[in-house]
Amino acid sequence: MYAITDPWLPSTRGLLSGMPMPLLIVLGVLTAGAGALAAAELVPLTPARAVGAGGAQGALLATAVAWARCDRGGPAPALAAAVVLMGAVGAALSPLGVIAYLAAPVWLWSQRDRLPGLGLTRASFSISAAGGALGVVLGAHLLLTASLTLGYGVRVPTPAHLAPWLAYDVGANVLTTEAFFRGALLDRAQRRWSFALTSACVTILCLVRYFLDPLLPRSLEVTAGAVFYLTLLSLGNCWMYWRSGSIVPGIVAGVAFFACYRLLHVVP
Amino acid sequence: MSAARVRRALLPAGILIGVTAALAAADVAPATPWRHLYLVPVVLAGLRFGVAGGLVAALGAVLAFGPFVLREIEGHGPTRAAAEGIVTLLVLAVSGAAVGSLAARAQRQRERYDTLRAVQRTLADLAPLDRTAARLAAVLTQRLRVDVVGLVLDDGRVVTAGRVDPRSVAAYVLAHREPVFVVDAGTESRARRVVVVPLTSADESVGVLAVERLGDFSREERDALVGFGAALGLALDNARLAARQRRFAEELEQKVGEATARLAEMDRLKSGFVALASHELRTPLTALQGFSELLATRPFAPAEVRRLAEIMRGEIERLGRIVSDFLDLARLERGLAPSIRRAVLDPAPLIAAAVDLFRRTRTTHRLELHVDAALPNVDADADALDRVLKNLIGNALKYSPPGSCVRVRARAVDGVVAVDVEDEGPGIPPEERARVFEPYYRMRDTAALGPGTGLGLSVVKSLVEAHGGTVHADAAPGTGTRMTVMLPALP
Repeated sequence: MYAITDPWLPSTRGLLSGMPMPLLIVLGVLTAGAGALAAAELVPLTPARAVGAGGAQGALLATAVAWARCDRGGPAPALAAAVVLMGAVGAALSPLGVIAYLAAPVWLWSQRDRLPGLGLTRASFSISAAGGALGVVLGAHLLLTASLTLGYGVRVPTPAHLAPWLAYDVGANVLTTEAFFRGALLDRAQRRWSFALTSACVTILCLVRYFLDPLLPRSLEVTAGAVFYLTLLSLGNCWMYWRSGSIVPGIVAGVAFFACYRLLHVVP
Repeated sequence: MSAARVRRALLPAGILIGVTAALAAADVAPATPWRHLYLVPVVLAGLRFGVAGGLVAALGAVLAFGPFVLREIEGHGPTRAAAEGIVTLLVLAVSGAAVGSLAARAQRQRERYDTLRAVQRTLADLAPLDRTAARLAAVLTQRLRVDVVGLVLDDGRVVTAGRVDPRSVAAYVLAHREPVFVVDAGTESRARRVVVVPLTSADESVGVLAVERLGDFSREERDALVGFGAALGLALDNARLAARQRRFAEELEQKVGEATARLAEMDRLKSGFVALASHELRTPLTALQGFSELLATRPFAPAEVRRLAEIMRGEIERLGRIVSDFLDLARLERGLAPSIRRAVLDPAPLIAAAVDLFRRTRTTHRLELHVDAALPNVDADADALDRVLKNLIGNALKYSPPGSCVRVRARAVDGVVAVDVEDEGPGIPPEERARVFEPYYRMRDTAALGPGTGLGLSVVKSLVEAHGGTVHADAAPGTGTRMTVMLPALP
């Protein structure tokens, strides 16, 4: 029993210690630069968005990797950012290039033994199914609410439309969010504060991350809906990570929810 | 989820669905007063299932009522009705959490009383403290809903888990008597919280209680654990005192039993001794009476008179020895050493004289004497030493068969003079060798071998010990007994 048989060594590590600051500065400059160039219409919007989103999501994954490898060795955070950026650039260059997004989850899964504590473990079927159910319920509720009460159109799902988004969500959007907010930030913060406080803070930061995403349409009802659904999704994912120690159920929930979201006409 | 829990969840779920269906059918605005009906399933679920139940019901209510609010926002913008709807959503969420939390708190309070009762029942057991503590840890693990419970007593003894590391939290709490909360003590995905509280009784620390759980410990739970530590400390201390009292009573009972048995044995021995002593005194008295009557009433030749006088002298000496033994025993029982007058003397002639005396009077046995050359002097009372030697040689002759040999050997060993008296008798069983030196004690089946009071060897022991020496019995080579007297030699 720890309290009796082990020496008491209070942790001296700060909540944000181990940030890959030089890399984050580079990625910040890259993201801001892409945005500025697109705003000045010096580069086309699509590749600028891809590079900007890739830079921001790469920063999230790089930070998660840096925290997970802290004191233990492991892959370089820059490599994580590069893999995400590669997916973004691939998607920008060619319609088939979206396949490059899948490099990030494949690479990350291959590194799971070197990144303990990031939640890269298999979750039980029941909790993964619960994740899927959460995403589907929230997504279905979103579709029903948006179509029946708000009057938004719903697309018939086709592979041609859904597959690129699915690749983006699996390889960048949901993956980097879950890896950073659940696998890294929640994991660290819950070792200092209660689960309720930690999940509230993580959820607020997660909402901020989505509101900074240029892909989110800027209208009042969409903003209200985003707050509503993303809060529930984030709280659910926090609870599932806390129960299972894996980010897989959160990824399943996120991918299922965003798959439903992509069916709305509000999304380009 | 058990069937019972599912059945209990059906009513709030049914109300939630019913209210939503009714509001949808009526196509109401978000500000409708009927929206407050959502509080019914939320409060009901919170009361029945605690925080989790309240939150799930609130989530359901928010999901059900949310579309009414979103439609208002989309249709008319941020109107007063939309604001009321949003407030309702917040109230539902807060109500679920608050009612669930209050219900859970009341439930926990009841569980704490139950836990204390269970602890008191466990401590009331008469089992040894270690076993009771292990059972107590099992009870606490189950009742407090924690993963591990450890109990350390104030002497650093761990009664439920491992060895106390001097740098551990338990050691710190034991030394400082203040509770410690460790927010994370592991590497699992969920933080392992540790709470260690002192167990106190009347402001004294009697140990620590350590609990570990994968998951949260609320402040309320931690405060409750501190209070629980005080209650448990008192109960544990009482149990310890009761156990000590029980042990003391058992020891006392055992000692009283032993003393009673010893007194009964002494009484039996003394009764036997009185009978024996009467007989021993009567025998020489009868002889003296008979011979003196003969001498008084009949004329005898001078040689016959001398023979009778010799016999009478022998009987008088025997009487004298018995009386001396009685006197020595009386001194011994009063806690006094026998009275001796010590002087420097050479033990060799004394030993030779004693052996010679028996050689002349007891011709039924062979008597062998071996005295080492240059035997050192001893500081001893010659009369006392003579009594010791005669007692031992007399016993050896008495308890060994006629025709057998009695060997007396005197030697110098490591600063002492050792005198061995060996016989070829039946020997003394090992378990009785120490007891033969007790007053009144006579081995069974020895009465038939010769007269005796059971005092001789106890007097020998007291005389030898009065000289700073020792005497012990062991088995002689072959059969028989060897008595060894060891007296400090003079340099």
